[in-house]
Amino acid sequence: MFKKFSGEDVSAQNQVKASVQRKIRQSIAEEYPGLEPVLDDILPKKSPLIVAKCQNHLNLVLVNNVPLFFSVRDGPYMPTLRLLHQYPNIMKKLQVDRGAIRFVLAGANIMCPGLTSPGGVLDEDVGAEFPVAIMAEGKQHALAIGFTKMSAKDIKAINKGIGVDNLHYLNDGLWKMERLD
Amino acid sequence: MAEKPQPVRVLYCGVCSLPPEYCEFGSDFEKCKPWLIQNVPDLYPNLLKEANDKEADKVSDKLQSTGISSGAGDGAASSAPRQEEVKRLPGGKIKKKEKQEVIIEKVVRNKRKCITTVKGLELFGVKLSDASKKLGKKFATGASVVKGPTEKEQIDVQGDIAYDIVEFITDTWPDVPETAIFFIEDGRKVPAA
Repeated sequence: MFKKFSGEDVSAQNQVKASVQRKIRQSIAEEYPGLEPVLDDILPKKSPLIVAKCQNHLNLVLVNNVPLFFSVRDGPYMPTLRLLHQYPNIMKKLQVDRGAIRFVLAGANIMCPGLTSPGGVLDEDVGAEFPVAIMAEGKQHALAIGFTKMSAKDIKAINKGIGVDNLHYLNDGLWKMERLD
Repeated sequence: MAEKPQPVRVLYCGVCSLPPEYCEFGSDFEKCKPWLIQNVPDLYPNLLKEANDKEADKVSDKLQSTGISSGAGDGAASSAPRQEEVKRLPGGKIKKKEKQEVIIEKVVRNKRKCITTVKGLELFGVKLSDASKKLGKKFATGASVVKGPTEKEQIDVQGDIAYDIVEFITDTWPDVPETAIFFIEDGRKVPAA
């Protein structure tokens, strides 16, 4: 989704109302309980929260011009990879095997066999339509953020086709956009 | 409140900005290698060995080619900047270098009024917004930067200035040779020179 993404795709960015700000904080806190203790560090109450609206119903949450979260069509807020690398344990993780890394880094969706093969790890608790971090065999850091298409059990049972939608991956447009001015 | 988890500091490759462990899947692993050797030597153990081998090769090469090194050096220098111009598309594919040329086209509207469009000035490192201002000033008409058909920006100038514009372009931007300027007449490209 961020394969071709640059500052030009941002159509409007504005500082949001305090009430909206509260709502965003609340939904992020709900989504990622592990993030709660540091939420004040990530989203300081004092500094203004900016929401950038982009094409394709995409919203970016910025603090100090750094994109921290994104959401699609008012869906759940998902952290950017740079943020996820800092706090790796806030999201459910799925692991793909080594052979899949190349394709994921080119923007491909995550196919079921890559998750069920010996190199992959599936978290059984993950349901369908759930934001997950995609890890890779033998690597420490997440390489993509995805949105599950089916539950982990289904991935195992069906073992065919797209298991996780690849939303944001290393070296895509959003990754390259360290700051948005 | 529970103890705050500290943010993990992740080292990113200085060349391709990925975490170093993903450099090998990046677009330019070769370019990353020197950085990797310097900053995270233990991540890719094979790399160091490889580099040492290369170093040895280089030394032996140098010994062999001291006599003809001047000629070889020139060749290397001229090929190096050309390599940098190769742009990479998001998919890791290499973008073909576009031909540097300026295309001038006259579009008639309302029978006796026309618009002159100038495409391709940006390929010569000309800022389009500046260029449109200069054109407007010179010909005393409206000139604007517009998105062309293929998402490319072009300059639209009101009025028929097709013949004066060549001289103006070559005068204002000496980087643009007259041979690179083309007119479009009856759907055919005609060199201006």
